[in-house]
Amino acid sequence: MATRVIVACGSGVATSQTVASKVARMLKDKKVDAEVQVINLREVDRYIDGSAAYISIVKNSKEYPIPVINGLAFLTGVGKDKEFDKLVKAIEDYKPV
Amino acid sequence: MQILQNVVNFLLGLGAAVFVPIIIIIAGLIVKMKVKDAISAGITLGVAFSGMSMLISYMTGAITPAAEAMAKSTGISLPITDGGWTTMSTISWSWPWAFLMFPLVIGINIVMLIIKQTDTFNADLWNVWGKIFTAVGAYYITKSVVIAFIIAAVQIVLELKNADFHQHRIEKLSGIPGVTCTHKMAFLAAPMYPIDCVLRKIPALNKSFDADDLKEKVGIFAENHILGFILGVIFGIIARYDVAGILTLGIQCSTALTLFPVISKYFMQALEPISNAVSEFMQAKFNDRELFVGLDWPFLGGSNEIWLAVIWTIPVTLVMSFFLPGNEILPFAGIINIAIAVPAYFVCKGNIIRMIIQCTIFAPVFLWVGTAFAPFVTELANTTGAVALESGQMISNSSIDGPIITYALAHIAQIVDGNFIPIVIFAVWFVCFVFYSRSLIKEKKADMASGN
Repeated sequence: MATRVIVACGSGVATSQTVASKVARMLKDKKVDAEVQVINLREVDRYIDGSAAYISIVKNSKEYPIPVINGLAFLTGVGKDKEFDKLVKAIEDYKPV
Repeated sequence: MQILQNVVNFLLGLGAAVFVPIIIIIAGLIVKMKVKDAISAGITLGVAFSGMSMLISYMTGAITPAAEAMAKSTGISLPITDGGWTTMSTISWSWPWAFLMFPLVIGINIVMLIIKQTDTFNADLWNVWGKIFTAVGAYYITKSVVIAFIIAAVQIVLELKNADFHQHRIEKLSGIPGVTCTHKMAFLAAPMYPIDCVLRKIPALNKSFDADDLKEKVGIFAENHILGFILGVIFGIIARYDVAGILTLGIQCSTALTLFPVISKYFMQALEPISNAVSEFMQAKFNDRELFVGLDWPFLGGSNEIWLAVIWTIPVTLVMSFFLPGNEILPFAGIINIAIAVPAYFVCKGNIIRMIIQCTIFAPVFLWVGTAFAPFVTELANTTGAVALESGQMISNSSIDGPIITYALAHIAQIVDGNFIPIVIFAVWFVCFVFYSRSLIKEKKADMASGN
């Protein structure tokens, strides 16, 4: 089964799906097997278990037990490659419990 | 011209679920997508249209009889179904000229950057539909595609200016540098500004409280399935349904609200490759200049104040809809009104008490503008077949983004018929905008001087 990563935004529609499509395309090009799931911000806690990384587009006050990737980088292009490498590493390091 | 008209009519005759995918496949090939990816995007878009159409029929099928029964039991008639922003975007994209808005948005942005009239590069090409929406309104009033696009151009310029002015405050509020909000919902901040100037003078309203705790407690009411169920049950009770009928309507409403975002995602999936190609082109072109990147609002979604204001506005809007003179829309899918909370957040700098007051004052505006747009939206839906409506059924949205300016711009051409109200509204908005933007610039300069 493909490893899951999550992306969240306000409605779970527009911004998160833009980031998700872009990340999914980058992962596919790099031949990394992962599924990018879009959720809304209010559901994050429910999805943390079982995900290799959380791609966040807001500033988090909370700590999460999985790596948090800066999703804004994929929208602005600034630091995109660095965040993508972080994501790939998180997926490769992920061990399902 | 006759041939062109025939082509347009033929495409329209196919229905939105067929002709818009054809357009996006062509657009995809223009931005050098692979043929198979372009076709995949096109078919995904067809799925999005059919899915939304199915869902909107389902929703109106559940809500319309309830609205009629409510009208009988209370004497208050609210015949316009509220499809929310997802329905509005579906209908906007089905306008035959919609895709021409892409080059207009990008072209104006490039020109404004070159002549140094803006520092914002708008990467939010999803919300191109917001420009299309205003243009559709203008088109139905003037019957002129050219005027519709000129009005959209005015909106695009104002959006970039508004994003420039807001950037510093957004960075202060969100802690995220280098980005701003190009969404037209931020236009409402300008008319909120004079009210905030007054509210700030009242010491009791300058207090703030911890929004985190409260949001944890009431946040569940903003979850789509819960909110849908509650609304359905309330409608059922007012309509004097029996218990089974009330619970059924609750689940039907919950189903509609839960599935809207699920299906809307397909629109994003289909349009993302095009918007990505454009972003990368723009980033490469202006690589040497430090630009603010204009985004849709959700990067602010970590703010609990915004969610609290949204939750507060739900019952306020619902109660008002029954008693507000001139309102004909029954709030439903648009009731999670981000478009009122985000500008309030900007103007009030996150002060939740003042935000709640602003949301209460401006809630009626959304109902009136939603009512005013129903005829165009319904007519376009029927013409393009984007949404299947029963004859006589009206559809609109109770949370149209930037309602004041959207109304004014779309209706401004009515001046030739002697209706001066839209242009007066525009002028008032513009004066507010000038004063508000000055205050934002002053704040930025003061912060820079003090080294923040």
